[in-house]
Amino acid sequence: MKVEYVNPFVCAAFSVIEMVIGVKPVKGTLTARPSLFTSQQCNVITGVTGQVEGQVIYGMSLITADKVASAMLGQPIRTFDQLAASAIGELGNMISGNASTALAEAGFQCDITPPSIVRGTNVKISTLNIPALVVPVMLPDIGEIEIIVSLQDRR
Amino acid sequence: MAKRVLITDDALFMRVTLKNILTKGGYEIAGEASNGLESVELYKQTKPDLVTMDITMPEMDGITALKEIKKADPQANVIMCTAMGQKSMVMEAVAAGARDFIVKPFQPEKVLEAVQKIIG
Repeated sequence: MKVEYVNPFVCAAFSVIEMVIGVKPVKGTLTARPSLFTSQQCNVITGVTGQVEGQVIYGMSLITADKVASAMLGQPIRTFDQLAASAIGELGNMISGNASTALAEAGFQCDITPPSIVRGTNVKISTLNIPALVVPVMLPDIGEIEIIVSLQDRR
Repeated sequence: MAKRVLITDDALFMRVTLKNILTKGGYEIAGEASNGLESVELYKQTKPDLVTMDITMPEMDGITALKEIKKADPQANVIMCTAMGQKSMVMEAVAAGARDFIVKPFQPEKVLEAVQKIIG
């Protein structure tokens, strides 16, 4: 998997998070995983299709998900309901959408699919056997969002 | 009488956000659609002054829905409101008759400005 596919997602995450959550994120260390896997409790999965294909997951703890949804909705959430889930899903959609624009500008035309939200731990997704690159992004006072990018050139 | 807007987005969060922005701006909500198919149906039923249209949606995407709405009413005012800002996507939407293209995330003022420019 090419590292150049990861940067557009990290850059998009920074600008989207700053705009919709209002905090300045801090980037952590990039690591690799042999396949698409998440041990986070709340995950937003977006598909990428086109000249580049695969999946990108935004994973976070349930506490972080609550805080992110509260920040996006402008009020604390009592339960993680459909509205809160759709706020988290939309965050992933906006990051992947903005990243796909950057990828297209770099010459890789691609489209994204509507986000799915998976809650639970040790989720392994194995539609395509592509290794994944992981970038943790720290949001001050909110928590960590893990960006898991698993993309390849279309064969 | 307040101008009426039909909101189209698969994310409940985005529909609520757009509804708040538009209501505060003095517009009435003609309806809320969660995919392109619903939007085309609701357009025919409610005859709104303007439609906000997401692109990435299940059932029917926003570009197809835009084309269907324009087929039913060539005078329809549709603004695309999506997380994807690819040149090819913008060009396809404009060619299909979209009046404006707003990339998410957006500032509330930007949405109101775009809507005002078209329907006042």
